Amino acid sequence: MNAKKRVGHLKTLLPQVGIAPERIEMFNLSAAMGPRWAEICMEFTEKIRQIGPSPIWFALQARKE
Amino acid sequence: MIVGEQKPLEEIWEMIKGHKKVLVFGCNTCVAVCQQGGNKEAEILASMLRMKATQEGADIEITNSGIERQCEHEFFEKSEDEVQGAEAVLSTACGIGVQFMAEKYAKPIYPGLNTTFLGAVEKFGLYTERCQACGQCILGQTAGICPIARCAKRVLNGPCGGSTKGKCEISKDVDCAWQLIVDRLNLLGRMDDYEKLTPIKDWSTDRAGGPRKLVREDLLDE
Repeated sequence: MNAKKRVGHLKTLLPQVGIAPERIEMFNLSAAMGPRWAEICMEFTEKIRQIGPSPIWFALQARKE
Repeated sequence: MIVGEQKPLEEIWEMIKGHKKVLVFGCNTCVAVCQQGGNKEAEILASMLRMKATQEGADIEITNSGIERQCEHEFFEKSEDEVQGAEAVLSTACGIGVQFMAEKYAKPIYPGLNTTFLGAVEKFGLYTERCQACGQCILGQTAGICPIARCAKRVLNGPCGGSTKGKCEISKDVDCAWQLIVDRLNLLGRMDDYEKLTPIKDWSTDRAGGPRKLVREDLLDE
């Protein structure tokens, strides 16, 4: 599965620019798995909320100030 | 094809951080096949450098583009304005492309890759060395397997004493080139050729003779 490999590669690139690799994940679902999709979205949103804003967000905020 | 490997981001950053407008410029032939320096990889690298610049608080405009080959004049025509508009270029071509650009443009041209070897695509994602461009091909005598590129000692009458169970003494993961040669001579029914001693190689055709040149008078413009 090419997408899975690419996401794996991206997980090696992101730390080079200070971004946690956990900020991207791959989930393989069929179109009929709507409820599971919603569940994953909820879980992932919560996970990102816990990790907090990215270093880029902080850098952009600092630039605005 | 020429195989390259992208330099660490930190090393690239150190080269470009003093500039205000940098073009990341891909080469879409050899180094695109090994997924290191093609136009797509140039785009990804430019994106990473923009993220880096934001975090470093550096005011650099980083754009990306690319052409099919950075080692031929005619391919540069369509990107002339982009290159001219940049203060510096980060080329993701091999060392040939970087030097060719440096000769064409009076601006800093930085290498985004380490050029590693002349190799083959064994399978998608696996690239292995096959040729060292020594200038005097002996593949006809060695059953199509090059002891210059594939033997750690470049032995011409092998194998040496470091060959064990078909592997080279430098690593158990490296095939002994001479074992491969013998196996293939055997397969081709040419084991008599193995008895022929290869004379001392004329290394003047290799890098030992200085930078090399090929001239085809019939193709040159007057």
